[in-house]
Amino acid sequence: MRPLDPRLLRQARAARSYVVLTALLGAASAALVVVQAFAIAHALGPVVVATGPGGDGALDPARTAPWLVVLAGAAAGRAAVGWAQERYGRRAATHVVADLREQVVAHAVELGPRPPAGARPADVATLATRGLADLEPYLVRFLPQLLLTALVTPATVLVVLGLDWVSALIAAVTLPLVPFFMWLIGTMTAGTSERRLATVERLGSQVLDLVAGLPTLRAFGREIGPGARVRALGESSRRATMATLRVAFLSGAVLELLTTLCVAIIAVGVGLRLVHGGIELVPALAVLVLAPEIFLPLRRVGAEFHASSDGLAATARAFAVLDMPVPPPADRAAPGAVGGMLVLDDVTVRAPGRNVDAPAHLSARIPLGTGEPGGGRVVALRGPSGAGKSTLVLLLLGLLRPDEGRVLLAPSAAGEDAQELDRVSGWWEQVAWVPQRPAIGPGTVHDVVTDGRDVPLPTLEAVARTTGLDTVLASLPDGWRTRVGLGGTGLSVGQRQRVALARTLIGATDRPVVVLDEPTAHLDARGEQVVLDTVRAWRDAGRTVVVVAHRGSVLALADQVVDVDAREVVAS
Amino acid sequence: MTDPLRQLLPLLEIRWSRVARAVALGTLTLVCAIGLAAAAAWLVARASQMPPVLVLSVATVGVRAFGTGRAFFRYLERLASHDVALRGMAALRANLYERIARGGADVVALRRGDLLARVGSDVDDVGDVVVRAMIPAAVAVVAGLGSVLLVGVFLPAAGLVLLACLLLTGVVSPWLASRASASVELRGAAARGEVAARTLELLEDGQQLRVGGLLADRRAGLRAAEARLAAATDDGARVAGVSAGIEAGAQTLAVLGCLLLGVPAALAGDLAATELAVVVLTPLAVFEVTAALPAAAVQLRRSRAAARRLLELLSPADGASAPAPEARPVRPGTSGHLVLTGVGAGWGGPAGATVVSGVDLDVRPGSVVALAGASGVGKTTLLLTAAGLLAPTAGEVDGHGLFVAEDGHVFGTTVLENLRVARADVDEAEACDALAAVGLGDWLDGLPDGLATVLGTGGSDVSGGERRRLLVARALLAPHRVLLVDEPAEHLDARTADALVETLATIARTTGRSVVLASHRLAPLGTADEVLLLGHHGTNETGAPAHVLARGTHADLLRDVPDYRWAAGQELAPA
Repeated sequence: MRPLDPRLLRQARAARSYVVLTALLGAASAALVVVQAFAIAHALGPVVVATGPGGDGALDPARTAPWLVVLAGAAAGRAAVGWAQERYGRRAATHVVADLREQVVAHAVELGPRPPAGARPADVATLATRGLADLEPYLVRFLPQLLLTALVTPATVLVVLGLDWVSALIAAVTLPLVPFFMWLIGTMTAGTSERRLATVERLGSQVLDLVAGLPTLRAFGREIGPGARVRALGESSRRATMATLRVAFLSGAVLELLTTLCVAIIAVGVGLRLVHGGIELVPALAVLVLAPEIFLPLRRVGAEFHASSDGLAATARAFAVLDMPVPPPADRAAPGAVGGMLVLDDVTVRAPGRNVDAPAHLSARIPLGTGEPGGGRVVALRGPSGAGKSTLVLLLLGLLRPDEGRVLLAPSAAGEDAQELDRVSGWWEQVAWVPQRPAIGPGTVHDVVTDGRDVPLPTLEAVARTTGLDTVLASLPDGWRTRVGLGGTGLSVGQRQRVALARTLIGATDRPVVVLDEPTAHLDARGEQVVLDTVRAWRDAGRTVVVVAHRGSVLALADQVVDVDAREVVAS
Repeated sequence: MTDPLRQLLPLLEIRWSRVARAVALGTLTLVCAIGLAAAAAWLVARASQMPPVLVLSVATVGVRAFGTGRAFFRYLERLASHDVALRGMAALRANLYERIARGGADVVALRRGDLLARVGSDVDDVGDVVVRAMIPAAVAVVAGLGSVLLVGVFLPAAGLVLLACLLLTGVVSPWLASRASASVELRGAAARGEVAARTLELLEDGQQLRVGGLLADRRAGLRAAEARLAAATDDGARVAGVSAGIEAGAQTLAVLGCLLLGVPAALAGDLAATELAVVVLTPLAVFEVTAALPAAAVQLRRSRAAARRLLELLSPADGASAPAPEARPVRPGTSGHLVLTGVGAGWGGPAGATVVSGVDLDVRPGSVVALAGASGVGKTTLLLTAAGLLAPTAGEVDGHGLFVAEDGHVFGTTVLENLRVARADVDEAEACDALAAVGLGDWLDGLPDGLATVLGTGGSDVSGGERRRLLVARALLAPHRVLLVDEPAEHLDARTADALVETLATIARTTGRSVVLASHRLAPLGTADEVLLLGHHGTNETGAPAHVLARGTHADLLRDVPDYRWAAGQELAPA
């Protein structure tokens, strides 16, 4: 596992400047550590010599005063570096997370309505919100320590080498032992800790399962009994967790043992060589102060190891989404839909997760409205649930590519010069789509329906009556001015559909094709009549209405009915 | 208001002797760290005076021992403190479960999945307070005072300097860190919520936004929300930066202070050279004592918030709660007779809002009554009231029914244990009979381990239809004679749903149980003895409660009620 994913630096611009900043601050803090050690040694050493048995007990204050000033400067410098790392590091980390989140979300949308496993909206939502949040501790806490290890550790070892080569050698021999022992313990215990972690998770989920089942248990009047079981499960969960921790903490203990023992050995070595005059007091003191600093970043890296594995896992998941190939971009312009024709040529789509083709080998020619009053058409898509009607809608919108066959748009009813819909650009400017659950907002109902256009109130009210939006408005606290969508009043699916219908009626007058997916599913008799009236109005205006229909009343209105059927795939 | 953590603490059943052990081990760890620095300082200073090597032998052994002991004690301390925390979490989970089960929390809260989903992480957060806040704070106090004493014995003024610097890193810096994290969480909460909502919108409605040409606009919206979140984080980072700066500078400051005080004292002869080295160099190791405290302060605040949420779960503040458990003794009732007289049903008890009013119903053994009406009209509320899980807002309920929820829980255990939820002494033969009665005989035969097959999370998957049938089988094994079944058709295809209703009716008639079922699908209701159509007159813009619009057999209603006829007609599968 690499501690820093290079793709992160390539993909997120904010990450690059963050790493540069952190490296600069790391270099500064390495310099300050060394300066501090020298200042302490030079301020302390002469005093110890002067007041020792051989000394005269007197010392010119001018010898130590400059070093005290330097030490004060080091204190200020370290405070400043610590402040800057926290102050700007956190900000940069927020930017990196935001940058990556937007890319992941945008890419997931580009993947189309049937993304591969791991990029479904629910998966990506978890990744983009909770998962990428794990990146922040990684960036704020782990990465700086890692860079410090790379900068401070070699720098201090080099300085110690200049002061006392024996101590430097001891440190240089110990340093590689640390990762080696951690690796050794890691490999020796990997299997057992994973098995135990699985046990811990299973026990934890059993407790949650019981709590989640409480309403059921209470309905049966059996809610008291499992209390003892929750307690017992908690106890075995604790035992299993402790067994895991006994192993997991070992690597931390080895790291700590090696580093502190090394500091102790350096201290004793320096002391014994001082007795024989093998080293001067001032360098000895500097080595003593520097020795723990050699290992400090490494110990902190170990302490933040969890942040690193969580952050790297989130990064890996984000790049797994970003690496999924998007459908090829459109390479030609869509023909005009007015007076044209949609052609389904032996179209088959494998239903996700089922051994079913839905639709299966569907062929149809759907002439489109002429745009003249009276020249409109209503096309119903009919079939039992699961037959692939909504899939067909996605195909007709060019959002989905059929597994077999082609979906074409021809500029004339003759069907010539047809283009495949998933390859053209400009088709979406000709279509208004009202899905089963239309996206609404954010904004006031007025803004959502007019989509920013200047629409006179009488027109708006007429449209509201046509689409049944008037009853929805009556139930909203501020009528047209009610905020809906994000942070606004929640709308039911039926209410959303009416808002979307009104929006389509007003805002999409320039779009010759209207696609409705089950517009009446959640409506009562009156609501359905309103929708049918709307469909009729569109047809009278010369537009084409493609409607997924479950109910007889819609079918009765249709000029053309396309029957959609699923077929089970026989394993060959 | 008292501290929610303190209120919740008894539920953790913490044994203070264990805490003391962890604190002692933590203190020993720091004694080793500080001892190492002090002994090394003395050793180097003394050695520079070139004494006989034997003089140094105690110090060299001490340095090595401290160097070894530290890792050893740290390992034991981490195990001890995690043990305390895990015991606390296990006890808290069990106690929470018992409190909730005994009726501390209401049925409304329990039906909200998000609340339950949070219980797990909230319990962890409360438990973490032991490892991350309580024990480090106690260790910091003991070890910090110890090192102040050590330095103070040699030079009292230097001890005071060290104390002042420790207070900076141990009190001021954690306080600032906690304040910073509070401000980020508080001020960033709205922005964070908006980022999450916009992310979700883009992901769920992304295809519509693409077709509608709104994708770029929504991406810009997400960017703007991220910018607001970054601004809130930035405000917190300003304070957190000061906290980090104090932490980084305090150590050097302490050394400087000790030098400024120690050097004149040494030159005046009040302090030996070796003592001066100890006074000046010990502070370099002391600040490890407070290193964990800023994080501890943040954890303390987070744990307190988690504790507050758990307490709310235990005692809902708004009073929208079920009757106290005493009001509903578990007495299944031996007759299949249920009588509702002028019952009003709604949330919030007699003072709350009534959703359905004026329902009279007499369900006789062996009969099937159906509640029909649009989604959201209040069928479930009425069933919950009839089951005694909600107090009626008006009228009386006589008899005890078993509420069979549409989303009843299938536990992650064996088929048999799932059935034993109904009654502890269900034997295998009874279980097989009940499964056969609901048409799951073939399903049972197909299971790898029969009744011992583990279902649910981590076990065999159960399809929607099988799940509903399993829930009905479980209800049949309960001692209750009245079954109140909510939306048996939900999430099932028409044929499966209708068959399930048929099964229920057959069982009721052959066993003398009675069944009340709520269904928004009308087609299968021909099998019911009576259908109650719930609804509102007109469009209900006033928010008045629903009531019984019409009642009679399915055939009566088809004949007499146009809306009912229309709705039933729409259910016919398209040709």
